Amino acid sequence: MTALRRIFSEMTSRHGLGVALFVAGAVLFWVLVLVVLPQIAMLDYSFRHNLPRAELGGPRDAHTLANYRYFLFGNGAGFNTLDMGVLLKTLAAAVFVTLLDILICYPIAFILAHSASGVGLRLMVIGLIVPFWINEILRAFAFRVLFGATGVINGIGQALGFWSTPVDFVRADVALYAGLAYAYVLLMVFSIYNAVETLDRNQIEAARDMGASWWRVHWRVVLPIAKPGIASGATMVFMLTAGALAAPQILGGPSNLWFTQLIYQWFNDAGDWQRGSAYATILLVVCLVFVFLMMRVFRVSIAAIGR
Amino acid sequence: MNRTAGGGLFSLGYALLFFAFLFGPLIIMVITAFNSSSFPRVVPWECFTTEWFGVLIANQRLMWGLWTSLWIGIAVVALSVPLGLAGALALADLGPSWRAGLYAVLITPILIPGVVIGISTIVLWGAIARVFGAGYDSVIFNGIFLTLLGQVSFIASYTMLIFISRLQRFDSTLTEAALDLGATPGQAFRKVLLPFLKPAIGSAAFIAFLASFENYNTTVFTILSGNTFTTALASKVRLGTDPSLSALAVIIIALTLIGAMVKEADTRRRERLRTGRMARAGVYASPLVRLVAHPAAVFILLGALAGLAIWQGGRHDASACRAEILREKQETQQRLLREQQERMRQFQQQSPAVAPAPGNNPSPFGGAFNPNSLAPPAPAAPPAGANPSPFGGAFAPKSLAPKP
Amino acid sequence: MTKDVVLDHVSIRFGSYTAVDNAHLSIQGGEFFSFLGPSGCGKTTLLRCISGFVQPTEGRVLIGGQDMRNVGPNKRPTALIFQNLALFPLLSVAENIAFPLEVRGVSRKNRRRRADELLEMIALPGTGDKKVHELSGGQRQRVAIARALAADPDILLLDEPLSALDLKLRQHMRTELRAIQQRVGLTFIYITHDQGEALTMSDRVAVMNAGVIEQVGDPKTIYNRPRTPFVASFVGETNRIPGEVVSQHGTTVTLSTPVGPLAGQSGGGRDHAPGAACQLFIRPEQLVVAGDGASPNRFAADCTAEEFEGSVQTLHLKAAGLPLRLCRMNAGNVAVAGPGAGALTLSFDPEAAIVLPYGTEADAAA
Ligand SMILES: Nc1ncnc2c1ncn2[C@@H]1O[C@H](COP(=O)(O)OP(=O)(O)OP(=O)(O)O)[C@@H](O)[C@H]1O
Ligand SMILES: [Mg+2]
Repeated sequence: MTALRRIFSEMTSRHGLGVALFVAGAVLFWVLVLVVLPQIAMLDYSFRHNLPRAELGGPRDAHTLANYRYFLFGNGAGFNTLDMGVLLKTLAAAVFVTLLDILICYPIAFILAHSASGVGLRLMVIGLIVPFWINEILRAFAFRVLFGATGVINGIGQALGFWSTPVDFVRADVALYAGLAYAYVLLMVFSIYNAVETLDRNQIEAARDMGASWWRVHWRVVLPIAKPGIASGATMVFMLTAGALAAPQILGGPSNLWFTQLIYQWFNDAGDWQRGSAYATILLVVCLVFVFLMMRVFRVSIAAIGR
Repeated sequence: MNRTAGGGLFSLGYALLFFAFLFGPLIIMVITAFNSSSFPRVVPWECFTTEWFGVLIANQRLMWGLWTSLWIGIAVVALSVPLGLAGALALADLGPSWRAGLYAVLITPILIPGVVIGISTIVLWGAIARVFGAGYDSVIFNGIFLTLLGQVSFIASYTMLIFISRLQRFDSTLTEAALDLGATPGQAFRKVLLPFLKPAIGSAAFIAFLASFENYNTTVFTILSGNTFTTALASKVRLGTDPSLSALAVIIIALTLIGAMVKEADTRRRERLRTGRMARAGVYASPLVRLVAHPAAVFILLGALAGLAIWQGGRHDASACRAEILREKQETQQRLLREQQERMRQFQQQSPAVAPAPGNNPSPFGGAFNPNSLAPPAPAAPPAGANPSPFGGAFAPKSLAPKP
Repeated sequence: MTKDVVLDHVSIRFGSYTAVDNAHLSIQGGEFFSFLGPSGCGKTTLLRCISGFVQPTEGRVLIGGQDMRNVGPNKRPTALIFQNLALFPLLSVAENIAFPLEVRGVSRKNRRRRADELLEMIALPGTGDKKVHELSGGQRQRVAIARALAADPDILLLDEPLSALDLKLRQHMRTELRAIQQRVGLTFIYITHDQGEALTMSDRVAVMNAGVIEQVGDPKTIYNRPRTPFVASFVGETNRIPGEVVSQHGTTVTLSTPVGPLAGQSGGGRDHAPGAACQLFIRPEQLVVAGDGASPNRFAADCTAEEFEGSVQTLHLKAAGLPLRLCRMNAGNVAVAGPGAGALTLSFDPEAAIVLPYGTEADAAA
């Protein structure tokens, strides 16, 4: 408390009372009202029964583990393999998409930082950003146009005689993974770019002069520098992919649910907000734990995120 | 030498591939906007048409959502820019340990899945509304209000990142100099720090608006029964597609490109002004070039081009071509039908009890018109409980609905 | 109007690190006072303390007899010229200079008039509408001074303002600064790690080392009568000869050294007991190649190298294994000595040499 007061008075002497009040008020409002309280409310809600309005506050309105039990065991005996399977599949798919993005983006980030210059660099940066000014839904739609049963790829493939019946890319999840990987390319590229850019060009040349092979230079010199950038980009891409809703809804195959879609169903189709909250809490906790574990494993701190 | 050349080639090739990946889908989508086929596609090409733009504008729900999105976007900018600024200022003035903690707190909204933010927001405010006895249609529990809160909670993190990176380049001795010269802390803030942050305020506002306008995951919950542009768009895409969405993409891409070019012209101009190269650089010595390269001129020129395209497109009439295509299709259909009947006859002779004609299968895309020549085969018989169509039912599988 | 500044036993600590240790001195109104010391010795910290950006951990700062404890930087009669100048990049030159007037609510017209006057004074008339980055380093320097003067301070604090300039410009600005100070008659507190700057411009100099003020005095005293080994070796070139005290008569101390018995003045008037380990400092320009006459402090040395810089000639010598330097004006005639010229006989005036004990602290600071 005294530390906070000291910070506040330092702020006052630096920027004036008005600014200090504004900063304190705004940060408090943001953290409490917009971030912490809603999460607490959701957590609390997830431990309650779905009751009709009249019974709220009544004797039956008590805390319960029923929603979490449902996630684990479903209605009957035995495990709720369906829902847990969806969660696992979502996580695995998110990891896959993240790895895909790292693979796609690392070379381009390196090229941006160390091979391109002048007009070429400018053009590339603009070319990277512009596609992401276009609505996320439309980007997903573009992939549906591309991969749909009557879509462009099937059209071309059949017209050229590569295959005669349309290939169902949607059912095979190709469309979904491509669309998700596409959606977060920008984040990954700039995260890695920011890290790789700090590398001194001479270091690479020195390593080359010493006869290190092309792969070795990347493995020993560039990659260690790029690591925080990769970690930051991977964290964001993973979280965004695991939490994606639009792309799975638009590009997902019929037998393939994303965990967010389950949550969506509990809310909008079943009207069971309590169970939906429980599922949302599960998603949040599992994702955060996963990310923190990964950060531990790769020894990066959260301060690297968003740089 | 050799290695460098090889690396250069590889770089070039990879960059080309990468940008093909980035732009390919968009370009194809743009092309489909002008094909008269009622499912967005490039092959077979039917007729060049601009009618999908008309279909788009006639879509009431989308246009109404556009209006809502604009208002929400403006309000989100008005809230998230000051919040982000406050967060960045707080971080700049904290000691290292406090800074790390607060940074983690203020950056998590970016990491929290959007659906979680949306859900937590409506749950909290639903509870608050209940406590105050307000109905589910009051000011507190209102789609636009909730969307605003939900979006601001994480968009403020984006704006904060922009302010942080700008503040890192701020020389804090400037504030001290102002104080030393007799300015009050408030004056120093207004006259020194704020002007320095002005460009960041601009880009933060832009990013905030874009993020708000684009947002789906949070908004689809917080908007309740209403619609923003993006949620309306998403439900349209989910329920059935037609090229009017491609037409929308064309409009947005055109706006984006115009924006990018004007911005580029502007940055270049600023740079030249700053380095004073304007007068020296050979090309810019010519007043004509200088005029044409002015951002306003670029804007007017591109705007005029777009206007011309719209006017020309509006006069284009594809009905003759369409009629032709329709006739062709009917012919093909008849021919196929005849062949089909022929086959059926032979087939029935072998095994009399068999399913109906494949031509009657429901299209996977909710009844969008599909010429038979390219109709997909009927989806494999679905396992019990799974959905009969790849898209139509994916969002409400009965098997997953809660049992009463 | 001028005000004096008193540092009353000021210590400044950052955590456990002591940046300024018990600084105690007073600076008279109208004085040109310099702090001289190596990089990182706490000069800037001390200056920031006077201008109000850092609070003393112990002690007080008094300006014009008034305790400055709870007076903010914007309320103090000081103006600081920052190490990096801190001109506002988004404002024009005139707006920069008029900034102190603007925050005081002076009307636009009067602001502009005053800015033009000041631009006139710093010999940059007509540049008011330029942007700061369109000026040269020296011009920016002068704009920073004009801006500080526009605040109408009683005390001007300057933090190594010339360090970013090239040699020529630096020498020019030295005279200019001194002229400005004499014209406006303010108290100047000047920080530098360049001893030449401190010695040429200042009325008095304080030499700092590792947070401690080792000696305060006028330039001549600082140079000729250093009171600590640090001052002796930091200000100007010097030769150091270790030895042991043989005897002391008044202020004259006789040492036995590797090159023989030598006499010098006891630095700071200390008394030395016979047998104490001490060191003798003698400036290169005070060493002379002795003739045959009977001069004191004679000893033999070999010349190892010669540097010829036009007006000055430097000989690198070795005496009983000790490296020494000798400087003299170029007399125009043939070199007396060069490498391989054999043994030379050197001597110096006992009045010019200083004898100091090892590890003297700032006991002479007051
Ligand atoms: N805010 C601070 N927190 C912690 N240590 C500080 C702070 N300010 C200065 N120091 C330390 O105090 C010491 C003195 O710093 P100061 O800036 O006063 O040096 P200086 O004499 O001005 O050096 P220079 O000639 O290089 O400018 C340095 O070791 C520095 O690391
Ligand atoms: Mg300093």
